[in-house]
Amino acid sequence: MTAYRAIVLEHFRHPRNRASLPDANRAAEGANPLCGDRIRIQLRVVDDTIAEARFTADACALCIATASLLTEHVRGMPAARVTLVDQSWVRAALDGDPPPGRTRCALLPLDTLKRAVGNAIT
Amino acid sequence: MADILIDALTRSDEPHVVQATLVSASGSSSKKIGAKMLVGASGKLLGGVTIGGCVDAQVIEAGDELIARGGKRLLDISLDDDEAWEIGLTCGGNVEVMVERIAPTDAGDPVVAAYAAVRDALANDRAIVVATPIDGAPGAFTLDDDGGSTGSLGDSALDAEARAIASDVLSSGSRDATLTTPSGTRRVFFDRYAPPTTLVIVGAGQIAMSLTAFARELDMRTIIVDGRERYATRERFPHADSIRVGMPSEIVSEVAPTKRVAVVLVAHDYKYELPVLRQLLRAPVGYLGMLGSKKRAAAVRDLLRGEGFSDDELARVRTPVGLDLGGKSPPEVALSILAEIVQVRSGKRA
Repeated sequence: MTAYRAIVLEHFRHPRNRASLPDANRAAEGANPLCGDRIRIQLRVVDDTIAEARFTADACALCIATASLLTEHVRGMPAARVTLVDQSWVRAALDGDPPPGRTRCALLPLDTLKRAVGNAIT
Repeated sequence: MADILIDALTRSDEPHVVQATLVSASGSSSKKIGAKMLVGASGKLLGGVTIGGCVDAQVIEAGDELIARGGKRLLDISLDDDEAWEIGLTCGGNVEVMVERIAPTDAGDPVVAAYAAVRDALANDRAIVVATPIDGAPGAFTLDDDGGSTGSLGDSALDAEARAIASDVLSSGSRDATLTTPSGTRRVFFDRYAPPTTLVIVGAGQIAMSLTAFARELDMRTIIVDGRERYATRERFPHADSIRVGMPSEIVSEVAPTKRVAVVLVAHDYKYELPVLRQLLRAPVGYLGMLGSKKRAAAVRDLLRGEGFSDDELARVRTPVGLDLGGKSPPEVALSILAEIVQVRSGKRA
């Protein structure tokens, strides 16, 4: 089994931070309109730093694994630095490229995370 | 249909209407026991106790008489027709139809009072049985599946016996019965009303399209659930009662899980199956089915077993879904799914 595959399966079977965040103050929801992946990322930002990041999703293994990795990565990160997290980080975290046609699945959590940072909720 | 009739009856401003109820049938009957027809003084008709033709005509004729003079009659009608028999166009058999005059605007009319209880029960997602004498005596007694009762058949011994039979009818279906008490015997019709089955369909594909069309004919309420806006559209699902786009596991968790809720997963995609099953395996829904082969179902079960679901909980998922009717096309698969839901709902086994 490749490292990429092992990482995806591990984070799909044991996703980190997959839960709702009752005291979230930032959130966004994203969807892949054709394959049907749906994800919601919730953040608690305190003093411009991401104190907590969680997600809920009805999504494929790759999408869930990426969301799991991303929410681990950004906890404790200044909110402004999230814009610097990009596709190359996702590729490195997964230790490989998603199969052809699946890139959208891996990037949906990243796109949703970036929108969540800028979307304050009450 | 019976719900619509009751609604029409309780909202009617006519001083009198006649209600006809199919209370028994021998041979073949095209209608379910309990089928109803209303005949208004103005000649207006609603519903039917048979598929039409001569029998309904006889009922209407009797109804017109009762509108004028009141009371209740039991019609014993033969479905045989000599000419039709000769050419093989008769089903044969007999039906009994109870015809009674009701005063919709009189809250003291026992049948009207019973129907108020029916409306209340259905509005609160409860099944209810209405017991009414067939033999011409007045009175009506109701029992709902919370144990609540209203009305009376005229004496406490009759009511006690009616309560016992009504409890059984709640879980079976409408039928007549003869009650025996120290004061004599009385033939009573037990009419069961239940809220419609809500069919939650996860996955807005072709099978789902057929499911919504067929389910409508079965008086089921349908909810289409998908995460994809381009699939879950009114254009594709003109018959659906509700179309919900969002996270399927969250949407299904918003539907109150009762035995009258059937959930079928036809997305054929684990991204919806796993989260929806996590929500429902421990919920008291009446039916839970998932499209997929035995091999695929085993893989889904293994994953969920690893998350702590028990074998008993996993066994609740019917998969491969539907009765084995041999069909493969989307409408045929939809038909087999609905056949299984009807089978489960009626407590029958293949």
